Amino acid sequence: MEKKSAIRLSLGIWVAFFALTGLLLGGCATMAPEKPKIMIPTDRGTVFFLDKYEFKAPVGWSLMRNLEGGDFELGFMKMEPGAFPSQTTFMYDEEPYGSSPNLEGRANQYCTRFLFNSGIMPEVTKREKTRVMGLHALALYFEGENSVQKEKSKSKVYLVKKGNRIISFVCTQWRPLDGQFDIQAFEIFENFVQSFKFLKKTFYENLDEEIQKLKG
Amino acid sequence: MDSHNRDLYLYEALNARVLGVSMDDVITNKFFAKAFWLDFPLVSNPLAWMGKQYGAYSDKKPFLPDGSVNNFGRRTVVVDKRGIVRYIKDGSPDNNEILSLLLKLEKEFRGK
Repeated sequence: MEKKSAIRLSLGIWVAFFALTGLLLGGCATMAPEKPKIMIPTDRGTVFFLDKYEFKAPVGWSLMRNLEGGDFELGFMKMEPGAFPSQTTFMYDEEPYGSSPNLEGRANQYCTRFLFNSGIMPEVTKREKTRVMGLHALALYFEGENSVQKEKSKSKVYLVKKGNRIISFVCTQWRPLDGQFDIQAFEIFENFVQSFKFLKKTFYENLDEEIQKLKG
Repeated sequence: MDSHNRDLYLYEALNARVLGVSMDDVITNKFFAKAFWLDFPLVSNPLAWMGKQYGAYSDKKPFLPDGSVNNFGRRTVVVDKRGIVRYIKDGSPDNNEILSLLLKLEKEFRGK
């Protein structure tokens, strides 16, 4: 009798343990905060990105996000057929290198550091005035190679004057020296840039307003 | 450094001034400022007293046994108009955070 009741007690403890664990796990599952969606599709064939931007997102490309501040706000990457480094990246960067507030001056500064860490010293093959989102912009085309690493790159950069600041859109394609560049990837980049819209004011635009109010 | 240079017009609008401090000599700082188009002053502080005062220089010896040099760590310090330290942060400067603080201080100063 004593043995039976000991078994029942032991079983009871196990049942209670599993029930409690189940309850706790169930609680965890329901209590976990829902992750906000980074990109929400619209009926216009574009996406809203974190309620900040709207643009045409490239299909089949990986999203790159800068989690700790630094070189870019958001971007996309695609690994392409061919030997390393066959890939294309493009991004929106709200703080392009340099500090000049005018487009020509900023472009001169920007060119001194572009792809600096890659060992490639890209040359500007074309430089033209244009408009992006209806704003004054400068398009820079770069090409360069690193004969030691046997790599080459081709890039297109838009520097855009937005209020008191300059923002940028950058696309770079990497290939081995004997590889062929793929123009289609640059067309996808163009779609991204030409469809790009700001959904809310930037930190700097809000700050400008606050300063104007303060100076009243 | 170039991020501070980009924001100089905002620092000025908020009645703040930027000062860079390094242990390098004056000539090196001159070349550094030229290479990065810096429009704000850089202070040359080879004896490190400023770095010690603001906690950017550790108490180790100047030349360490592993061959490295005890240099200033990256530190941002905001000092208000009364000389009171209002902000300290190590690592890369967070300009949005700094500008938000300066806006707050300017509002405080103007009593708004």
